[in-house]
Amino acid sequence: MIRAGALLALGSALAPLTGCDPFDRDGEPAPGPDPLAPLVDEALALAAAYREAAAAHPTLAERLTPIAEAHATHAAELARVARMTLPSATATGAPAEPTSDPDAALATLREREKTAREAATRACAEAPADRAALLASVTAARAAHLEALR
Amino acid sequence: MTTPTPTAGPAAALGAALTAEYAAIWAYGPIGVRLTGAARKAARDAEAAHRRRRDDLVLHLSTAGGAVPADRAGYALPFPVTDAANALRLAVEVEERTGAFWRAAVAATTGTDRERALAALVDCAVRATRWRRTAGITPLTVPFPGRPA
Repeated sequence: MIRAGALLALGSALAPLTGCDPFDRDGEPAPGPDPLAPLVDEALALAAAYREAAAAHPTLAERLTPIAEAHATHAAELARVARMTLPSATATGAPAEPTSDPDAALATLREREKTAREAATRACAEAPADRAALLASVTAARAAHLEALR
Repeated sequence: MTTPTPTAGPAAALGAALTAEYAAIWAYGPIGVRLTGAARKAARDAEAAHRRRRDDLVLHLSTAGGAVPADRAGYALPFPVTDAANALRLAVEVEERTGAFWRAAVAATTGTDRERALAALVDCAVRATRWRRTAGITPLTVPFPGRPA
């Protein structure tokens, strides 16, 4: 881990010297992909999914809106730790198929939340100490969301 | 009941988690007597879960040859438990505070010790969610379980 990190750091320090940074970051070192990046994307996608389900099923809004906000808060905190910039507007892909009944919407969210909890568990296991506590809280929050969706 | 110190090594962090488990087990005594029916059963189940964590930790710490903090005769509660409503509020708080110690233990450990600490934090967060539901507290979840406020 340490060796790989050192090589990455060296690589990014050298990038501007070679003068072939295709994105011209104004002298900023080109960052390697942060292992938190997929978790940021996942948290943003989850926040959007909960918001869409809350809009489609107003009876669920009271339960789903705080969870949507938690995922958005996670995305912001993970991005801050990874020194990433959050996209200003949530990139929603193709609008989700409107699910006809609230039970089906909840079942879909439960599946996505389960997958996300497992991803956060794996990320926590592999994280350095200074990130492990944040990832532990994200994992625990996702497990708590599953309980709240029961 | 206190809050965890952030800079502990693995053994100290797990020892601190053990003292939190002692306090949680103790607190479920006064909580349980104020509850009835399903809530009382949930309190018993929660207490049993904390006892399992305690036993697991005592075994783990003593096998590793480190210091095993001793239990105390009693623990200070953050507020008096006089009825079912504040018993439920205390149950939420017990799980939140115990979770904070396990979260600190996650950062201080690696490998299977970290897995154990994470599993304990997850359990605390899920039980806190159930207690909030029983108490009628919304929202049911917090964004960062175990993180000091």
